[in-house]
Amino acid sequence: MPTKIVNSQPIKIIFLCLLCAQIQAAEVTIHKNNESGLLTWSSKDDGFSIELIQLIPDFVRAVYGKHGLPADEVERIAGYCVFGSIIQNTSRQQMSYRVSDWRYVDKNGKAYPVKTKAQWLEEWRKVGITFAWTLLPESGDFGIGDWQQGFTTIQLDRNEKFDLIYTWTLDGIKHQGKIENMSCAPADLSTNLTTQ
Amino acid sequence: MTMQTITPFKFVSVLSCFLLIFSAQAAERQQPKLGYWLTAISKPMPAPDFTLGDMDAKKFSIKDYRGKVILLNFWATWCPPCRREMPSMERLHQKFKGKDFIVLAANQMEEVDHVFAYTGELEVDPTFTILFDKDSNVSRAYGVLGLPTTYLIDKKGNIRFRAIGGREFDHPEVEKQILQLMQE
Repeated sequence: MPTKIVNSQPIKIIFLCLLCAQIQAAEVTIHKNNESGLLTWSSKDDGFSIELIQLIPDFVRAVYGKHGLPADEVERIAGYCVFGSIIQNTSRQQMSYRVSDWRYVDKNGKAYPVKTKAQWLEEWRKVGITFAWTLLPESGDFGIGDWQQGFTTIQLDRNEKFDLIYTWTLDGIKHQGKIENMSCAPADLSTNLTTQ
Repeated sequence: MTMQTITPFKFVSVLSCFLLIFSAQAAERQQPKLGYWLTAISKPMPAPDFTLGDMDAKKFSIKDYRGKVILLNFWATWCPPCRREMPSMERLHQKFKGKDFIVLAANQMEEVDHVFAYTGELEVDPTFTILFDKDSNVSRAYGVLGLPTTYLIDKKGNIRFRAIGGREFDHPEVEKQILQLMQE
């Protein structure tokens, strides 16, 4: 696991994901943005790639404020640990994923389900919000070349580290990957820049 | 900072600032390459009927295009891959102009004025038909989960191919699939 992040130099970490049904070699790259200090985790597994980009709360506020969500709902989602995420089928076969199968594990080893887009939309529907985009779709059945992006939300204290465990199915076989030691974006960029 | 304390001017400034920062970050971190593969639907299904308005509120009904191959794209202005694939849709539209082919791009939940301003900022001004799916009812009927999603509909009105995520639509492989449907 990385203990130090070198500015602007992608760090390549190879680790074996022993939690998988079959031993899965995953390549995780962490990139630090020179200007903002924000981190991006990229993982390439068998037929599946995922990228998670830290987003600061003000960015989340700006996005959902622009789409007309009420202020209290904007604040609610901005209070989550939000990542821009990109999922890609890198295989020549059918690939599927279900966010409801994904988990994040806190520092005490307790696992929590990742909140799905469907769960967000259900909560929004109850308060009259019809906007239904920007969040990562809760599931995907991807053909060759298909990819998708959207926000992923994690509910943890902003300063707490966590591991993300994600799954996908390729040619009928379920796979599992893990990104360790992830962290939320800081509350604002000034905090991030002064702690570099 | 809470939303209640943000004035419209401050809000636009904050949004512009962050869009600038994250555009720079997105530029630094390369987005996935736009592919050209469209997935064949194993059991072609009839494309759900719909009627939507364009920029001038002129109504377009999909059933009016029976006998043409339709590239139906679901998109929004805030979606980066939607923006990236649009020039290739325009080139495709120009290439097949006057043939049995039409591009329909159904915008999701945005205002006409906003989309009009956006199209003016693109590197290529789109001349294909932009429709307004203001409540996303049409995208729901098509089972669209994320943007962009694109369907290729044959002359009989059946969905034959699908693409999730951005594509280079004027790639020879895509053109080959369109020509194949046009010749059926």
